[in-house]
Amino acid sequence: MATTEYAHPEALVSTAWVAEHLHDPNIRIIESNEDVLLYDTGHIPGSVHVDWHKDLNDPVIRDYLSPEHFAGLARRIGITPETTLVFYGDKSNWWACYALWVFTLFGHKDLRIMNGGRDKWIAEGRELTKEKPNYPATDYPVPAKRNDQEIRAFFADTLQWSKERKPLIDVRSPGEFKGEITHMPEYPQEGVLRGGHVPGAKSVPWKTATNADSTFKPVDELRKIYQENLGFKPDDETVVYCRIGERSSHTWFVLTKLLGFNKVRNYDGSWTEWGNAVRAPIEKP
Amino acid sequence: MDCGKLDELGSVGMVESESHYPGGLQTIINLFQALPDEEKREALISYAEQAPKWAPKPGETFDLEDVRKDEECTDTVGVFLKVSPDQRTVFRVSLGPQVQTLTRAMASILCRGLDKALLQDVLEVPGDFVPKIIGADLVRARSHTVYYVLTRMKGIARVYLNRQRVTGNS
Repeated sequence: MATTEYAHPEALVSTAWVAEHLHDPNIRIIESNEDVLLYDTGHIPGSVHVDWHKDLNDPVIRDYLSPEHFAGLARRIGITPETTLVFYGDKSNWWACYALWVFTLFGHKDLRIMNGGRDKWIAEGRELTKEKPNYPATDYPVPAKRNDQEIRAFFADTLQWSKERKPLIDVRSPGEFKGEITHMPEYPQEGVLRGGHVPGAKSVPWKTATNADSTFKPVDELRKIYQENLGFKPDDETVVYCRIGERSSHTWFVLTKLLGFNKVRNYDGSWTEWGNAVRAPIEKP
Repeated sequence: MDCGKLDELGSVGMVESESHYPGGLQTIINLFQALPDEEKREALISYAEQAPKWAPKPGETFDLEDVRKDEECTDTVGVFLKVSPDQRTVFRVSLGPQVQTLTRAMASILCRGLDKALLQDVLEVPGDFVPKIIGADLVRARSHTVYYVLTRMKGIARVYLNRQRVTGNS
């Protein structure tokens, strides 16, 4: 029987909850934005900044940071494996979800999103500060591995998913899905040679899952979008993709944490890999 | 850091310089290049916060106005140009609320740095000043819209010059 509660309600906290836990030493609030200087203009008191580009990616090859570098990041922001991490940010928590997904790669247990993100916090007139906190460094252990196999899909996996017509969700804008444009609306071209989508993928733009105030839609609406209208099932292994894996992190969070899908993988190579790969099959209406 | 400190280091008006940047912009570049990364960020925030000062003021008139939202931009950007009889420029820029902080900072820097620059010099400003100001750390594919404001300023300056040529005033 369908419930009215998200599958993992603990993964989502309200702005009021965050306001009540600003000084809780077991909780670290993390801001992650697309706007690289937004944190510096003012942030939730006590929150730390994780830069999606500089902190979460390998500086040379296209990959995420190593377990050693992840431990370094965790030590720098003063967390232990037991710390509850609450992510928030701009763009309806798009980059907060990306950061949460990367932290999931390293097995950190208690990861949450502040519903509504930065926009909601500001709209409610809550406090911002420019003061940057300085937490004592910890000795966060180096994770034994990065959980690539569990939540990450690569080109070969996605090709297999396409050939076998397994559940595949393209979360980009309709124009990108149709191949009419090769960049996000309102964003610069990031170097893709071909337009279209992975054959067999269904289009569900990531923002379909959000309300105008940047919060997530209620679970019944999300079920309607992904399950009733498009037939995706919680027990099916599902692959999601966008351009570089960031918008699809948001959909990964929705499917995994809010709808309780058991196995969702994010193809972070996404269209900037697929649309440039020689002989990669492309569907274009 | 407050942008006013720039004036302690030298006038931001037109100064003689061997570089290929108009003097005011060169002064700002010099300042940024001398700053450590953290202070560079603080200076950028300060410039971004001053961006509203460079918006058109009520009653202000211009020779050309170009207000639009381009497909690759998050919000509307307006560029306003006034040219003096000796071909020196005054720019004003209006920015929608969704415009990113770095772009706001760059609009403020360019309005200040190109104030009273010669029209022809504006057209020749190379885009390589951007990493000199914001540092390699902040230059990313998605931050490339910082070049956009300069492109729009050059665009309106070019239109102005072309119109002058057409009317035989150049």
